[in-house]
Amino acid sequence: MRDPDVAPNAVADERARRFETGLSRAGLGLVPKLGRRAGDALLARLLRLLADRHPRAFAALREMADARVLIEPVDAPVALLMRVGPQLSLHAVPRGAGGVGDAGAADAVVRGPYARLLDLLEGRIDGDALFFRRELAISGDTALILALRNTLDGEEEMDLVADAASIAGPLARVLPVLRRNAGPVLDRIEAARRLLPPPLRRGIERVEARIAGTLPDTLPDKRA
Amino acid sequence: MDNFELICPAGTPAALRAAVDAGADAVYLGFRDETNARNFPGLNFTRQDVADSVDYAHARRVEVYVAINTYPQAGNLGPWQKAVDDAARLKVDAVIMADPGLLAYAAKRHPDLRLHLSVQASAANVEAIRLYRDAFGVRRVVLPRVLTVPEIAKLNAEIDIETEVFVFGGLCPMAEGRCSLSSYATGLSPNKQGVCSPASHVRYEQRGGALASTLGGFTINVFGEGEQAGYPTLCKGRFVAGDGPAYLFEEPTSLNAMDLLPELKAAGVRALKIEGRQRGKAYIAAVVRAYREALETFAAGRPVPHIDLQAMVEGGTQTTGAYTRAWR
Amino acid sequence: MTASLTLGPVLFNWPVNRWRDFYARIADEAPVDTVVVGEIVCFKRAPFFAEAIGDVIERLTAAGKTVWLASPILVGSERERAAMRDLVTADAGLVEANDMGALALLAGRPHAVGPTINVYNEATLGWMAERGAVAVSLPAELPAATVAVLAKAGRELGVETEVQVWGRAPLAISARCYHARAHGLHKDGCQFVCGKDPDGMPVTTMDGQPFLTVNGTQTMSHGCLCLAAEMPALADMGVSRFRLSPQAMDMVRVAEAFRAVLDGRRDGAEVAAELGGLIDAPLVNGFYHDTAGALRVA
Repeated sequence: MRDPDVAPNAVADERARRFETGLSRAGLGLVPKLGRRAGDALLARLLRLLADRHPRAFAALREMADARVLIEPVDAPVALLMRVGPQLSLHAVPRGAGGVGDAGAADAVVRGPYARLLDLLEGRIDGDALFFRRELAISGDTALILALRNTLDGEEEMDLVADAASIAGPLARVLPVLRRNAGPVLDRIEAARRLLPPPLRRGIERVEARIAGTLPDTLPDKRA
Repeated sequence: MDNFELICPAGTPAALRAAVDAGADAVYLGFRDETNARNFPGLNFTRQDVADSVDYAHARRVEVYVAINTYPQAGNLGPWQKAVDDAARLKVDAVIMADPGLLAYAAKRHPDLRLHLSVQASAANVEAIRLYRDAFGVRRVVLPRVLTVPEIAKLNAEIDIETEVFVFGGLCPMAEGRCSLSSYATGLSPNKQGVCSPASHVRYEQRGGALASTLGGFTINVFGEGEQAGYPTLCKGRFVAGDGPAYLFEEPTSLNAMDLLPELKAAGVRALKIEGRQRGKAYIAAVVRAYREALETFAAGRPVPHIDLQAMVEGGTQTTGAYTRAWR
Repeated sequence: MTASLTLGPVLFNWPVNRWRDFYARIADEAPVDTVVVGEIVCFKRAPFFAEAIGDVIERLTAAGKTVWLASPILVGSERERAAMRDLVTADAGLVEANDMGALALLAGRPHAVGPTINVYNEATLGWMAERGAVAVSLPAELPAATVAVLAKAGRELGVETEVQVWGRAPLAISARCYHARAHGLHKDGCQFVCGKDPDGMPVTTMDGQPFLTVNGTQTMSHGCLCLAAEMPALADMGVSRFRLSPQAMDMVRVAEAFRAVLDGRRDGAEVAAELGGLIDAPLVNGFYHDTAGALRVA
């Protein structure tokens, strides 16, 4: 759960959120680079941890009929394929790999900006409102997406970033510090970004990605 | 002057806690089956959820109502009667029902259980409301969304039970509980299965930059690029009658009667209801908090502030619906 | 109980002369047993028919028809309430209640319950029987299994059950007038534009697929409900009344065809095929077969 002393004000909170969104997105992008087995093992571990922390929601996900939902961030290199039902699992797949109707692919797809999808999964934002504003697009089995949304929303607010970080060793210890300092850090990054020509701006993004780069190195499962 | 009671929706225990924490006076919910009119996948409460939720709410002096407001299936009354029995056993504060047969059962079996008449019964006149009071001892009626505020005032002058009206959320342009549009397109209806325009029969398809929504194979709407979308509820779709496509029944819009608090108070309304058991807890927290603030301001005799709920509404527009005559 | 044919009220806004002539021909030629009359969709239309309704009742009664008076579907305003009370207290014949308010006023004397009152199960049917209901016309959306339970319960209670077997299905009622809205008008100043469409205003999807029919404040199906082929099964269940809902077509021929099915002289499927050619809409029976009402199940 989130530190009560984090986010002294809403602006810093908003910036911290943006920072950790970027961070986790970069982290997600690295999962496939681990190789399929290690990547899946990491995600399986994440799922087990989430199930421990959110038993009600995960029991409900297992009670659903067997089906696959593709959660596809339009601004990340990787999408997540979630299998709900008794064989609950999570896989990272290259984005654009499969849509509804492809053999072995998803029964439903929810597509949108990574930050919005994360907000939605964590129950921070109303999915209907996002959909009305067309920030989210859905295709395939609408009832499946609705069931997934309702199930996740029925949980107390999740903190997926902290949960994900907590299986990534050192990052778990770094995250609260990052959050506490996110305001000033972001100030500096944002100021620099504004002043820089586009190629260097991308350099900054690489710096952010490198912070997330600690993720694979800390994985005990990596060589499994 | 007694303040209005604020009656808030919950589709999940987390949403119930959000509503309680945001200032609800009562939260209404349904069991996880076809006995309630929001029988959506992944939504609603197990018996244990209700027990826990009643504990949580009562500890904070908030009431819990259970909606058992579909029409029981012929030859299979058991699930509905059991829902009533369980609601009574779980010490909920009221049950909200529509079917005369089920109301008769509840009145006979559980004489101490407080009965509210659901909007699904569509009791829109004095005679109908008195019938439910006299026959079953109904204590409060949720008015159908077909009456103007002056009509509500007249009605309240002639009846001696409480009235509850919707003030925010999705809006049925049709008389509730008397609509088979969903059933016609999908075979599933609010009265029988507790669903309207069910997601199981909804498909979205991209048509270039446009987004088309279909229900049971019928195209309900096509949204142009950048245009606000809506869920393909049949009566909020765009159809062609005569000239080009238009929102024949109702725009994708949300009811917001916050500006009508003084009129509703003068009309003798007891309770204000927020729609949206199918919406997320973020919606519930935001809307309940806004209405709580409005009610406190109103009770203190200050002008009701304009609170921005634009981000929460369908289609990005708000209406006072049937409460003002021009709607018709 | 012997099976009988009922002609439901005209739901569309026909000119009063057409309305009067229609009933004159029904009186003289249509083999129906009960005729339900009255303007039940919109109170604004009612004054037009007030001058003719006495003659119509007289004519139908003289021809040996049983005449029932139908109460309005939606009663909210004071004017609608007054009209409902007048109808119920007029004592001009058996009243078919279409709203719970009318049902309240009819307690303790014989009355009929119309298809826009929600009777979905045997408990509600029993409650209505206790209060004096002698016949109940079931909502269009009920599937066969439900009809069977209700028909059986009805026989035990001494209440006749009725099912609509012909005509567009009534699907919804509103305080808002969609006819007026489609013409850019307000209900208060509607100019009675619904009178332009004697069979209702066709509504299609944005892809041009016919879908619904608007009749003022009422929304109906585009498809014409036809249960001619299902009538023997309905009769076996114990349904004893079969309702024909008037469309702007030769309703005498429709009545003759259904009478022939009822008497066992003609095959229901064959009648459906014949009548399907007389109306500009597909025949549908999905509700009865527990699927989308817009579908036709062979």
